[in-house]
Amino acid sequence: MIAVIGITLKGVFRDRVFQGIIAFAVLFLFIPSASTLSMRQVTELSITLSLSLISFILLLLSVFLGATSLWKDMERRYTFSVLSLPISRCSYLLGRFFGLALFLILSSTILGSVACLVIKVAAGLHPPDRPVVWSWLALAIVFATLKYILLVGVALLLSTVSTSFFLPIFGTICAFLASGITQQVYEYVNSPIAAEVVSPLLKPIVAVLYYLLPNLAGFDLKVNAIYGIAPNFAGLGITAVYFVAYTAILLGLSSLSFNRREMK
Amino acid sequence: MMRVSVPVALLVTGLLAYCLLIGPFTAYMRNKPIEEKLGFVPSIKLIKPLSADQKEIAGASLVIKVVMYYGGLMGKAMDGRVITERPDLMGMSRLLHGAVQLDPYNMDAYYFAQGFLTWDAGQHKVANELLEYGMKYRTWDWYLPFFAGFNYAYFLKDYAKAAEYYKRAGDLSGESLHKSLAGRYMQESGQTELAIFYLTGMDKNEKSPAMKKIYQTRLKAFREVRRIEVARDQFKLTHGTLPASVEQLVKIGLLTSPPVDPYGGSFYLEADGKVRSTSKFAFAVMKGEKNNVGN
Repeated sequence: MIAVIGITLKGVFRDRVFQGIIAFAVLFLFIPSASTLSMRQVTELSITLSLSLISFILLLLSVFLGATSLWKDMERRYTFSVLSLPISRCSYLLGRFFGLALFLILSSTILGSVACLVIKVAAGLHPPDRPVVWSWLALAIVFATLKYILLVGVALLLSTVSTSFFLPIFGTICAFLASGITQQVYEYVNSPIAAEVVSPLLKPIVAVLYYLLPNLAGFDLKVNAIYGIAPNFAGLGITAVYFVAYTAILLGLSSLSFNRREMK
Repeated sequence: MMRVSVPVALLVTGLLAYCLLIGPFTAYMRNKPIEEKLGFVPSIKLIKPLSADQKEIAGASLVIKVVMYYGGLMGKAMDGRVITERPDLMGMSRLLHGAVQLDPYNMDAYYFAQGFLTWDAGQHKVANELLEYGMKYRTWDWYLPFFAGFNYAYFLKDYAKAAEYYKRAGDLSGESLHKSLAGRYMQESGQTELAIFYLTGMDKNEKSPAMKKIYQTRLKAFREVRRIEVARDQFKLTHGTLPASVEQLVKIGLLTSPPVDPYGGSFYLEADGKVRSTSKFAFAVMKGEKNNVGN
């Protein structure tokens, strides 16, 4: 499995998709000047822009690399030669997943370091009213990385059941968009206001979707990092365990599906 | 031959058409009505789910859109031109209300809303509601109760509420100045002086040239009002009655030079002696526009 992780990492660095996406990092150079568009919160805007850029790059990386990694292997028939080696399908899949996860961790570490530099410059030019809490910033980047690692799991699961790359890519994007609002929709449907408006049939459907789809809203700590607000640590602990549990389910399902898949 | 000539002809025609068109096109875009420039923004109910985990940047971009639009308008005033376009205050307010729904911590939105909702739109209650909404989130920020205190005292004449908010600002900032203001706002007298004091502080901390210009214009107008008030009081002291007009004060030498309203209006005295201007200290805002700004 470690060999697969290594191959995955090497493959990603050679991938043109990665090179194209990482070119977005050039935008970091413009953040200190773009932040001056704010009247009263220049440093806060620089943190907003930096975290948004990191989030956007990680989203593209997880969707495109996660969704195309397995599909490409099968399309180019690499899987035949790899799986003829003494390696189980499950190890191969997990190797791919951990390789991509490691790659996302490396990317966010580098992007996070650049972001810290950019924020430091912005804060030096326009000192904020409240000091930047670097530990909250680091925590926001860590949880954003976890979120996108989980999304890689979704992309891999969809790759194992699909024969084209459409479902993994668009399915992952849809899951990402839905995952940000499931909490809101669930709360609305179960509120007293919705009782008269929403059909009773909709309630169980929403409940199923709420528990089925990943809830990624809990991983978003941007507000805490931007405005220096202390996060709820107990909540973060639950979120971390949620990440482990949900990712394990995704990987288990992916392995089962990949084991049963017919390779042509 | 055909393989080369067709693309070249297309390219040359395109370039020629572009060169001929770019001048009028730029002029058309520049002179577009202001309402169109602020543009259509979808409902926040739609933006919220679509912005996924990028709500903070979506909120910031709405604020920047409003600031740039208003800054462009004020830029014309900086050139010395009298502004005849009506600012789309309703649209501005809608976008800022949307921005704080996306990011309730965004200080720029509250700060800017305070600027135009009170002075230009006359929507003091809407401004205070927005500030109170912000106070629920920005619990450390003394600016929001400071603004609310000013609005209650200066515009709404609710001195008890003003004192309450100034006390809150004082508790948060630890500045004795805010606490003393709480007491000062209990009195109606000296309103212009207090407004000058407030605006001087805002101007001092402002770094945006467009916003600085807005404060300085207002300060200039209020300093002229104060000059007239001092002359009016002097007149009353000597003659026992209020002067008939501002011109009378100039004529008898109590005002060394005729006061100038930087908003393009002319000063006049109300029956009770209050100094007013025909501009209402705002650039070309029509009466109808002041309604429903907060909706």
